[in-house]
Amino acid sequence: MAEPLNKSMRSIQANDWVNNYGDMLYNYTLIRVNDKGIAEDIVQETFLSAWKSRETYKAEASEKSWLYAICKNKIIDYYRKKSTQKEQYAELDNSNDFFDEAEHWTKETAPNEWGIQYNQPVETKEFYGVLEKCKKKLQSMQEKVFVMKYLEDLDAAEICKVLGITSSNYWVIIHRAKLQLRKCIETNWMTI
Amino acid sequence: MNIINITCKKATYLITKKEHKAIGIWEGIKLKAHLAICSACKLFEKQTGFIIANAKHAHSNIELDKNVKAKIVEKMEKS
Repeated sequence: MAEPLNKSMRSIQANDWVNNYGDMLYNYTLIRVNDKGIAEDIVQETFLSAWKSRETYKAEASEKSWLYAICKNKIIDYYRKKSTQKEQYAELDNSNDFFDEAEHWTKETAPNEWGIQYNQPVETKEFYGVLEKCKKKLQSMQEKVFVMKYLEDLDAAEICKVLGITSSNYWVIIHRAKLQLRKCIETNWMTI
Repeated sequence: MNIINITCKKATYLITKKEHKAIGIWEGIKLKAHLAICSACKLFEKQTGFIIANAKHAHSNIELDKNVKAKIVEKMEKS
């Protein structure tokens, strides 16, 4: 009798996990990898890894933050695997699009006043849609560096290690990402 | 004059270094001097600061496909 009961308990637990945390992990991942298929795979791997180690897991953290931590590692693994030298060389220097020959802003690219309180949290939901859209427009390496630094809060040395880039590459890439993203948000955010 | 003068391209680059707390003392002085006279770079600093502060809260609201969920549960049960 013990075995079937055990089995159905397992089934309930598996179902609960996926129902309670599936959407949450999926959205978390989707924002970071921008591809539905890849995000689904990462969520699946997250659940399977967590499932395997569920007996060794000690409830020091909540189930939710434990799953997030596993998911975060899977995303970083994905970045590590995906980052190739070829991609680094393919990275185009777009920073000159923003400055004239004397390296000063041009009339078209100089930041315009947005008329908001910059030190206050964003008030409109539209901002996140625009941010998402603009993030997708970044070059692949720029997007990864941006996500790892500003969404995952990893430090620069760790990001360089994961992506196999030097620290001077890092500064240049993140500089370009910010130039590009700021301009795109200024152009597309309706509130401004 | 040129010792202290930096271009806007350099200034925006140094803003990122400053934000990472990786800016040298001399670079910091040059950036401060530049920002005191360049309103465009000052805006760049404020706006990118705003984007970064809010990027952490980026979210979406898409449901994971039911079939995918069912497949995951099935694999968990089998493992």
